[in-house]
Amino acid sequence: MAKRPKRSRSADPSLIPLGKRLLSFFLDWAIWGYIAYGAVYFLNYYWYVAHIDWYGRLTLPDWAWPVVVVSTLELALLCRAFGHSLGTRLLGLILAEDGHYSPSWGKRFRYFWASHISIVPLGLGVWASPKRPWHERLSGLQLVRLPEPEVRTTPPPRWYATGWGMMALFLFGLTMALGWHITGVHLKALVSGVGKPVRLWRGLVRPDFSYLIELDPWLNDSIVGALIESVFMALLATVFGVAFAFPLSFLGARNIMATGPIGLLIYGLTRGIFNIFRSIESILWALIFAIWVGWGPFAGTLALFLHTIAALGKLYSEQIEHIDPGPVEAVTATGASRLEVMRYAVIPQIIPPYLAFTLYRWDINVRMATVVALVGGGGIGRLFFYYQNQLDWPKVGAVIVGIALIVWALDYISGRVREKIV
Amino acid sequence: MPHLIVDRLTKIYERGKVLALDDVSFTVEKGEFLVLIGLSGSGKSTLLRCINRLVEPTSGRVILDGTEITALSPRELRRVRRKIGMIFQQFNLVKRSTVLANVLAGRLGYVPTPRTLLGKFPKEDLERAKRALERVGLLEKMFVRADQLSGGQQQRVGIARALMQEPDLLLADEPVSALDPATSHSILQYLEQMNREDGVTVLCALHFLSLARRYGSRLIALKDGRIVFEGLPAEIDNVKFKEIYGEEAEEVEVR
Repeated sequence: MAKRPKRSRSADPSLIPLGKRLLSFFLDWAIWGYIAYGAVYFLNYYWYVAHIDWYGRLTLPDWAWPVVVVSTLELALLCRAFGHSLGTRLLGLILAEDGHYSPSWGKRFRYFWASHISIVPLGLGVWASPKRPWHERLSGLQLVRLPEPEVRTTPPPRWYATGWGMMALFLFGLTMALGWHITGVHLKALVSGVGKPVRLWRGLVRPDFSYLIELDPWLNDSIVGALIESVFMALLATVFGVAFAFPLSFLGARNIMATGPIGLLIYGLTRGIFNIFRSIESILWALIFAIWVGWGPFAGTLALFLHTIAALGKLYSEQIEHIDPGPVEAVTATGASRLEVMRYAVIPQIIPPYLAFTLYRWDINVRMATVVALVGGGGIGRLFFYYQNQLDWPKVGAVIVGIALIVWALDYISGRVREKIV
Repeated sequence: MPHLIVDRLTKIYERGKVLALDDVSFTVEKGEFLVLIGLSGSGKSTLLRCINRLVEPTSGRVILDGTEITALSPRELRRVRRKIGMIFQQFNLVKRSTVLANVLAGRLGYVPTPRTLLGKFPKEDLERAKRALERVGLLEKMFVRADQLSGGQQQRVGIARALMQEPDLLLADEPVSALDPATSHSILQYLEQMNREDGVTVLCALHFLSLARRYGSRLIALKDGRIVFEGLPAEIDNVKFKEIYGEEAEEVEVR
């Protein structure tokens, strides 16, 4: 017989595990490291602070490293004491005093200096007394779990008015500013260069439909013919993709596979394979298959097919994970076997969303079919890239009009069908 | 020998280390209508689910007609489960399937899997489904999708599903908590009918003491996973009531 646990409903809930404390602290420290980097990056625009090379690598003189380490550490400790700590907030912790989250400045300051004898010497005060670390004892404050009900009669501040909220906003601003510089946003060029692709604009607004139905002798294909080819590529890839994704999706659903360690292993492997195959773009698969089976629509179809299995498999699996567990319970209780539970409690719940996803996927596949042609996948994309290489913009325009019409039509149809079934 | 023996049943939910059932023992005779009462979270649902092992007990035994359910292999367990009907607070119907499909699901334990996977049920099961639906007054709704029905109707479909199992024992997990008082009585009357006419032993978790008094032949009260009262419904007086539900509680009646 199992050992009788304590009568309490859970282990001491007030105890914050050491790992959580450490992680939150290092998060805060890392955040200040990031801010320091950002500061150097921008200060360099006005006067030289430190060398940042083309790849964004920062080089500091040897003497400067200790300064950076100590100053970021101090700032992180200050943040933790004065409620600007994102690290603790992200882990669901907050600094509190007897059930409220607004300790006095004096106590916060005491928390700050006490950290120097408790945390700075490699966390001595936390190791020595994990339940009540020294700095918490000395200041009378303590880290507690959110959302511990707070004793207050005034409404709590909005998130952006809290210390951690301001910190998060500041970090977001810094990141956007860094991103703006790193991606080389150049607004002047955006405005002044608008007329440069004038031949392209002209071609696009005056499309040349001479090969709409008639075959282009160089390509031995017409726009309508290639469009039909693309739609069929997408159709085949979708239908065969579904045939494989449907059974695999059960293996990739946690609630179905959580029967034991082997089940969980299969679940993990299936999801892992889905993710790997999904993260490799169709165009790369097309590259492989164009060599494997030769250039043409078949290579493109195979590429779309593989990507469809992975993408639909993941969506399907998630759908299975979100089913109502009630019917599963009820059907299990009747003495049904596992397969019968799937057939009578799981599948009826997932068919309509599966249909919706599948139609949506067909949509995506038609659009992707145009791109896989770039590396020899066949279909309308072949015409697109051929005319584009010839700088024959009016014909490119005609192809784009064709693609737009087909995608719009499919979008409309699948939208209507989805409305009906969900 | 009693119909059902529950012996020192304990359930600890690993996640959160919650002690849901603490050394629960009792017996049920054939043909009883046993009512379980207690606050939400007192362990009623867990107890019912431990009996047909929808929830795996941490320790203890459940014995039905001499068969130790807690010691069965998955295959044997399925054979025992088909004789234990169950109805639920949220009805647990497959909402997108028809009423008939939901009712036929009650036969899954009897029909071989290859047949059911093709959706083919024997003719006599279709007849049985019609009789079950007729009994709960829903024959004309046979081909309606389950989510088109009202709450009370859905629970009646749940009862029809349980009837299909031709059960010896019926577990009812707060079958009327999601229903209004009038519908509650109609549902419980179906259970009473099964109990009296078909001789089905009923274990029914209920919230309202007045319903427990009206339908139960015996009553067990749980608090924090332990049995705090066992006896006739009429024996519960104001003192006992406060013991079960806490000092603040006031009895609310459902007529």
